[in-house]
Amino acid sequence: MAAVIAGSAVRTCFGDGAQTFDALLGGAVGAGPLRHGDPAELNISTAYHAAAAGADPLWRASRLLAACVAQAAGHAGVDPSRERVVVLVGTGLRELSAVEEWALGGTRPRARSLHFGDVVTAVLPGVVEIITISNACSAGGQALALAQDLIELGDADVVLACGTDALTRSMLAMIGRVTREPATAVRPFDRDRKGVLLGEGAAVAVVVPPDRPGPVLGRLAATGVSCDAHHETAPDPEGIARAMTDAFERSGCEPAQVDLVVAHGTGTALNDPAECQALRKVLPVSDDGALVTAVKGATGHTSGSAALVNVDVALRCMAGGVVPPVIGLQTVLEEGTGLRFVTGAPTRFSPQLVQINAFGFGGVNAVTLLEKP
Amino acid sequence: MTAGPMIATGWSLHLPGIPLAATMTDLLGRPCGAWAHELAVAPENAAAVLGRKGLLAKEPATRLALCAVHRACELAPGFRPASPLSPRTAVVACGNLGNVATVAQATRTIAAQGGRAVSVLDAPNVSSNVIASSVALWFRFGAANMMICSGAAAGLDGLRLAGLLLRAGRADRVVLVGAEPADEVASALHDGDPPLRAGAACVVLETAAAARPAGRRVLIDLVPAGAVPAAAARHTVGAAGFDPTSHWGDFYGARGVIGLALAAHLALDEGRQVVEVRDPGEDAVRVATVRVGSQP
Repeated sequence: MAAVIAGSAVRTCFGDGAQTFDALLGGAVGAGPLRHGDPAELNISTAYHAAAAGADPLWRASRLLAACVAQAAGHAGVDPSRERVVVLVGTGLRELSAVEEWALGGTRPRARSLHFGDVVTAVLPGVVEIITISNACSAGGQALALAQDLIELGDADVVLACGTDALTRSMLAMIGRVTREPATAVRPFDRDRKGVLLGEGAAVAVVVPPDRPGPVLGRLAATGVSCDAHHETAPDPEGIARAMTDAFERSGCEPAQVDLVVAHGTGTALNDPAECQALRKVLPVSDDGALVTAVKGATGHTSGSAALVNVDVALRCMAGGVVPPVIGLQTVLEEGTGLRFVTGAPTRFSPQLVQINAFGFGGVNAVTLLEKP
Repeated sequence: MTAGPMIATGWSLHLPGIPLAATMTDLLGRPCGAWAHELAVAPENAAAVLGRKGLLAKEPATRLALCAVHRACELAPGFRPASPLSPRTAVVACGNLGNVATVAQATRTIAAQGGRAVSVLDAPNVSSNVIASSVALWFRFGAANMMICSGAAAGLDGLRLAGLLLRAGRADRVVLVGAEPADEVASALHDGDPPLRAGAACVVLETAAAARPAGRRVLIDLVPAGAVPAAAARHTVGAAGFDPTSHWGDFYGARGVIGLALAAHLALDEGRQVVEVRDPGEDAVRVATVRVGSQP
């Protein structure tokens, strides 16, 4: 049993997947002034806005998703009239920003526009099932896990695993609430990290059986999932490690085979040490251990799409033989001692088995193992 | 592993303010079992079911969901279980409007007084998966944890994905729970006729290996679109039978799970053997059958 990725599309603050990867290799930071809500009210001054979402403050997650679905389905030749196509949309915040605009005197949205069924149908008519899965910052990884299950169990011919999120004032306020002074950049795994900042983004991976004709960008070994059941918002290294172990058990791969980790790396006080502890617990730590990179210093935290943005980056690392550095990382935090972070400049390296981490509010974890085709 | 029937080993309806016994007695033509006489406490009285600790800042829909799970698991009322972690129990929660009141209120608070005036206790509530993760944390369910927010289709979408988690070996047990509130913000967004109604339900699904052989159970089949149900139903939950929506109101994203739990009560507890759930979903009717039986 196996499943492969036949297409991938991304929208971040840098543009599409190719533009995003080029920006990562070039060390760019996509941060800019916060344009959603009042920075003084929110105690947040910086965000990673995506131009592809347009200028309208409403329906940004929907527009980013639509662009990615159209592109990925086009590249992979998805045809809902001939194939059983299921679309799983992972999201952290849905279109709750429309509820917020209404609360401030704007137009009342329809309940069905809070999720993404109509958005997908508009760009990919004929899809038999569209399910919106709200799973915080690991939502895209959860969608990828279910996509592989649907393919391997023969329930679908094609599954689009999607993730999308824009910003909400209520979530921004919570982030601002726990920071003394607003962070101006995300600095994953840095000793002097100041916290997380949100980025707008969407991503889609087209998951198909290995024998479907067409492009194969990568092979899905497995996605392991777990719930910490430990704390409402704080991560738990034990719960994270269970998701990693689940991925290895499901795939039959050995931890020592992982040669690149695209980490979650949110730059918060709690995530980065917990992620390092889990990595050190599950993966062998040695001089020739896996390289570790992370993108959120460049893209911000793209929440529901973060896992699938990382998948696209991993696919490009495998295809191009080059790994971007952890942008924003200067001095590795103590808990990361022994982990081989890529810093400063890109590294020429062609990974064979990439581990992709995603963790979310509520302790929901998804860890994907992706093999070079 | 092909999609056969799912085994449900526990179920509950938690529908505050709804006279189940009266409604069902009219329907069945005789007094019905104890399940229809149990009191479903309102969210503000959830401590009677869940115990007093830990309910601060829990939204009404989350409280309803916790009550439904507590009752489906047949736990003693008034006590929070001190369970060890169940790493093979997953949660699939279905609902859409549980946190919209908190999000709207937080937005108005920010505009009026700034972000510092927003309570950090509401941090979990501004994330749309709060019901699913709260159930996991409360009962210590450590396997997959998913919140399905696909509108009126969420309930049977949840059943679909719960079955997938079991077939894919991601869990031995899935706690499927649906919950919606009916506060002012949620009701305005729903804007339907009949109006939104607060309620929750839970169905516990298990693999054949995990289910206790002597325990109570029903079998659930989700009928593929366009297919004919294998077993002839003696009763229908939904249009053309007893329609909870027309009698009680629209439970929206919780409706599918409420239909399944009601069908389980009718099939086993009321001896109807085979009960069909016809759920109008968001755009297309879907059918599940709930029947008495031991082995898939």
